[in-house]
Amino acid sequence: MKETTVVIIGGGATGAGILRDLSMRGVRAILLEQGGLAHGTSSRFHGLLHSGGRYAVGDNEAARECIEENTILRRVGRECVEETEGFFVLTPQDDPAYVDGWVEACDRAGIRAEQVDVAEARRLEPNLAPDILAVYRVPDACVDGFRLVWHNACSARRYGGELLTYHRVTGIEQQGGRIRGVTARNMISGEDVRIACDVVINAAGSWAGQVAQLAGLDVRVSPDRGTLIAFNHRFTSRVINRLHKSSDGDIFVPHGSITILGTTSSATDRPDSTTPTSAEVLRLLELGRPLFPHIGSYRILRAFAGTRPLYDAGGAGGRSASRGFHIVDHEEEGLAGMASIFGGKLTTYRLMAEKLCDHVCARLGVSAPCRTAEEPMLEPAPAGLLKRAAGLFPMQGAELAAHRLGASFGKVVEMMEEDRERQIICECEMVSRAEIEFVAGDPATHSLHDVRLRTRMGMGTCQGTFCSLRAIGALEECAAHLALSPTEDVRQFAQERWKGLRPALWGTQAREVMLSRAVYAATMNLDGAIHEQD
Amino acid sequence: MKLRLNPDACIACTSCVVQCPVAEATPEFLGPRMVGPAAQRFRLMGSGEDESLHYCANCKNCDISCPHGVLISTFNMMARAEQARKGPFSLRDWMLSHGAFLARALGLLPAALRNFGMLNPASRWALDRLGVSAQAPLPRFAARTFRRQLRTFAQPDASRSVVFFPGCYVDIYDPQTGLDIVWLLNRAGYRVIVPDAFDCCGLPMIANGFWEDARRNAARNAEELAGWRRKGVEVITACPSCALMFKNDLPEYFPELADSMEGAAPTDAQEFVLRLVDNGELPLPATGAPLDIIYHAPCHLRAQGLGLPGLELLQSLPGVRATNANAGCCGISGSYGFKKEKYHIAQRIGQRLFTAVRQSKAPVAASECGTCRVQIEHGSGKQCLHPLTILRRRMEA
Amino acid sequence: MNRTDVIVAGAGMAGLLAALAAARNGRTVKLITEGVGSLAISGGCIDLLGYVGGKAVEHPWQALDSLEAGHPYRILGRDRVHAALAAFEELTAAAGYPYTAPADGRNRRIPTIMGTLKPSWLCSPAGHAEALASARRVLVLGVEGFKDCHPAVVVRQLKRYPEMAGKEFTSAMIRLPERQRRRTLSPLDVARFLDTDAGRAWMERELTPHGGRYDVVLLPPICGTHADDGARQVLSRALACPVLEMLSIPPGVGGLRLREMLCGELARLGVTLVENATVSRAEVTNGRCTALVTTAPDAERRHEATEFILATGGVLGGGIATEPGRARERICAIPIEMPEDPEQWSTPELFAQHAITSMGVRVDAQLRPVGPDGAVLLRNVRFAGRTLGGYDFGLEKSGFGVAIATGWTAGSLA
Repeated sequence: MKETTVVIIGGGATGAGILRDLSMRGVRAILLEQGGLAHGTSSRFHGLLHSGGRYAVGDNEAARECIEENTILRRVGRECVEETEGFFVLTPQDDPAYVDGWVEACDRAGIRAEQVDVAEARRLEPNLAPDILAVYRVPDACVDGFRLVWHNACSARRYGGELLTYHRVTGIEQQGGRIRGVTARNMISGEDVRIACDVVINAAGSWAGQVAQLAGLDVRVSPDRGTLIAFNHRFTSRVINRLHKSSDGDIFVPHGSITILGTTSSATDRPDSTTPTSAEVLRLLELGRPLFPHIGSYRILRAFAGTRPLYDAGGAGGRSASRGFHIVDHEEEGLAGMASIFGGKLTTYRLMAEKLCDHVCARLGVSAPCRTAEEPMLEPAPAGLLKRAAGLFPMQGAELAAHRLGASFGKVVEMMEEDRERQIICECEMVSRAEIEFVAGDPATHSLHDVRLRTRMGMGTCQGTFCSLRAIGALEECAAHLALSPTEDVRQFAQERWKGLRPALWGTQAREVMLSRAVYAATMNLDGAIHEQD
Repeated sequence: MKLRLNPDACIACTSCVVQCPVAEATPEFLGPRMVGPAAQRFRLMGSGEDESLHYCANCKNCDISCPHGVLISTFNMMARAEQARKGPFSLRDWMLSHGAFLARALGLLPAALRNFGMLNPASRWALDRLGVSAQAPLPRFAARTFRRQLRTFAQPDASRSVVFFPGCYVDIYDPQTGLDIVWLLNRAGYRVIVPDAFDCCGLPMIANGFWEDARRNAARNAEELAGWRRKGVEVITACPSCALMFKNDLPEYFPELADSMEGAAPTDAQEFVLRLVDNGELPLPATGAPLDIIYHAPCHLRAQGLGLPGLELLQSLPGVRATNANAGCCGISGSYGFKKEKYHIAQRIGQRLFTAVRQSKAPVAASECGTCRVQIEHGSGKQCLHPLTILRRRMEA
Repeated sequence: MNRTDVIVAGAGMAGLLAALAAARNGRTVKLITEGVGSLAISGGCIDLLGYVGGKAVEHPWQALDSLEAGHPYRILGRDRVHAALAAFEELTAAAGYPYTAPADGRNRRIPTIMGTLKPSWLCSPAGHAEALASARRVLVLGVEGFKDCHPAVVVRQLKRYPEMAGKEFTSAMIRLPERQRRRTLSPLDVARFLDTDAGRAWMERELTPHGGRYDVVLLPPICGTHADDGARQVLSRALACPVLEMLSIPPGVGGLRLREMLCGELARLGVTLVENATVSRAEVTNGRCTALVTTAPDAERRHEATEFILATGGVLGGGIATEPGRARERICAIPIEMPEDPEQWSTPELFAQHAITSMGVRVDAQLRPVGPDGAVLLRNVRFAGRTLGGYDFGLEKSGFGVAIATGWTAGSLA
């Protein structure tokens, strides 16, 4: 049996942010996550670090929080943020009367929105529609949600925080109206673990309602499904928003080598309703056309869906539901030591964590202040190291890897000085064997899927057809804690990719899928081997 | 309007990796897929460049091998231009890519002096220091350029005209091939016009990263070509690289010129002559002495998607047995094989072809491309002629 | 200038075989290609039929009749499939790189770099998996620095097959000489090295210590790029046992050898090749095709002939174009019946049957396209290879089998 002060349930941005915050304040904490880190909504959004412009008119308070957190995150999470800036673009289909109110609202929230000459905007973003009417520049940026969660977790680990992924909570123990502990199942070994603790924090996002039920509580979170499209290349170098009342399919975000278009919004009763459909993809394409008229010719890599954990105050759902966050201390309902946090959005995750930790620390009698807004999550890689690494990586792979790996970058560079480690396993996203082996060696890595999330291996043009087969060998050689046989690991990896490819099965991507099938099925016979191997 | 170039069509099938002669010859080159479309996705992020981009020879075998129409070499050339904009000026690359200008500048001197100036051991040593391999088969300047010779070449009166784009190689180094073509066209009843306004097609400039110079030439040539299109006079060229540049590459590099170039690119001279033969305008001789020829298809001709009309012409000549060497790229790729750090790569690439030519019992080789011919003669020791030169000789015989 | 009897579009297996069959019948043939064709990225083994309805097939010839009526094998009939494969065996034997069928009439089970087994039929000696089936001591050999093959995984995976019980597996690595190491090293690079005398000498030296200790040795596909089996024989002698190549991911070394051989035959037979040309449409008069039109940036070109064979591939090869809810054969614009809702094109399980993986042109017994009513649409156009519907080569393991059978038949009929 384990023992700690606080158990955090949910390994998304909020949970990881709380783990880091508590650990930095010296509070012992363990985070439990049913899948890999960020397996829920934190890796299933468009990767936009809001300036707040989107919420300025509808929810000025949320907009103000956004711009403040946006500024903080550029400082403490440099490696997770790409400072692209954003445009709000008025198309002929939008109401020009909306503009003045929006500009005023941005000003009120403290968001700098300056008008850009249309011709200049089209020079900067030549793929934008020629008939756009007005453009405003705002301090939007892009954020890598998965990396953000991981960097929070790494920082928390350095402060003594503990991380248990692939652990699903099966029970919340209480006695005399007080929290006593948590039971969870290790989804890989099947073992049950019990953790004694004083406080349980429910940061399970869309799953918060299910977690609360384990403690006999009712938390009003209604998951709201959003589907997005990832395109194969970066056809905009800035975040592009439609300048209108927030709606579906009106944000494009350049994200590393790809572009993401989102999103849809529809209520669902299942937090894991993450299978996108063709109808959603076709609708998004239609919605995106006023900004990018050639959208139909850009190749779709995949579609994906996530569920927003919207606070259900009764009545207002979907787009009109509040994007603000909510903290509930369940002591009022007769259970001391349990709090839930939900609503909000990724941009403000740190603030959410801070507020919740302030509350918990006050209860625990801990007076240490929050420092997450001042201390960067990673120590930057030394400049000399980057120079040394540049010759070892193709293209700007060195810089990308440095951002992914943070403090561990030096170790990977050292590995790469041996020549077999320099081999590029993933040629689409330029991921080296050294990095894959390094990640494979982490105790939190159990499958190709885990390696993919941390390295971006398999997330580019070929969607893993080549690199999954290469990486499985590297994994076998250096990871002791694999959950699956190689055949099954690759099959699950390919199946997961298929889920995103299937809704956009036409044009060039259909060709890619057929190549993939020629490799996986016609050449490797993975489909046959699943049944024939023990 | 042409869409901006993007890497979406590539599905990473590796066909180009298999067919790239440079990747086969040197481990320094990461291969067309990685350096082309895969890297392009990162260039759009504003990334740095991979060192191995320099090794792309722009031979187009990647484009020929791609089943999905990805413009692989175009990505490479555009990236190289971007790099050249940022990098230091290279005198060597400038000299190698501005042959026409140099020839004009040196044109005041007699050829013997020019050749002595460029090709004597001391100059070759100096050029070697600049980065031009001392072993490379630099072609010799002709005593008088093709254009100057044409001025005094008596063409018979003819009712029809055709415009000939000579290209730098024929104009500066190999006027005889140009004159052979003029002879053939005259024989078919055409008067040949070579406008002064034509300048270098710009391919060597592109390959060496001199983007703006290439654009200037392209604009000038496009205007001249469009003029002839308006007049309804066909323009032809016997140089596969110039032809490919006009047909395929320039509209991609400079989309702003694409509209004015539409339908104005020169026709392949061999395709034109084959058409004359087919139409009965240029009757072939009924007989001829037996002659074996080993033929090399230039990569830049194969890339044009028009087959091998030059080989077809040779094969239809009585007495001639022309065999396609079918042995891949010769390695020279314009100025690539002259460079000190690339010379050995170029020789390795050409090895299979050299062996095929040497082992063939044919006394003579044939190929449409000027620098291919230089390379084949250098590598195999056998004489290599333009197919239309051979055609003329057979018709005169 | 030379009259063309037959035009073939497509340089994959079906196209090459169609051109060969027609040329051997004395026809004047022109082959138009866009790209290098599927052989360059394939392993080069000829699958006949490995699975029917998800069940493994032991004797492929016996299983042919259990296929559904619209399957290309059923359309051709067993005799023509048989004749085509026999012709292929003969052709490869004559060219000095013989492909042979397993003597016992049962599918070979070829090891892959994933340590899986893939049923196949005609193979060059590098794929004679009988040697693995009968071996007791098996060595799986990798090359240090290779990213495409990890012997430890192969061994672990092979051991998971009941049929491998009782075998003793060993894995080992060999090191390339310094000068041959690369930033990105594929089997093709090593295969090219083994084309050279220096490469073979190095390999012999590296392998000799392993000589005589095993019954069979499995290697990644590195035994040279030429269709002569020379490098493999050198290694086999050094090891004093049969050497097999595992199937790997593209680029496909085995396919390259086969391609070299087939293209050599085409050149010998005087087939004209037009490379890098996209056939954009067919000119049709009175139900007959009169010319194929190729599009290049500068101009369109007409290619006339009396018979046409289209072997331009399926979705992957570009023979079938898709957009949301619509699919059509690209050159003749023959519509392919598919559900309007793209969601219905596939099913949620990756390794299941999907409408898209077996869609294609419907043909009569002469391989001429037919409409929904069965009427012949074009009397002098034949389709071969993956452009045809009615089969799923991924699940069936029947790709090159169908390509050879339909390509050869189409070429023979033209």
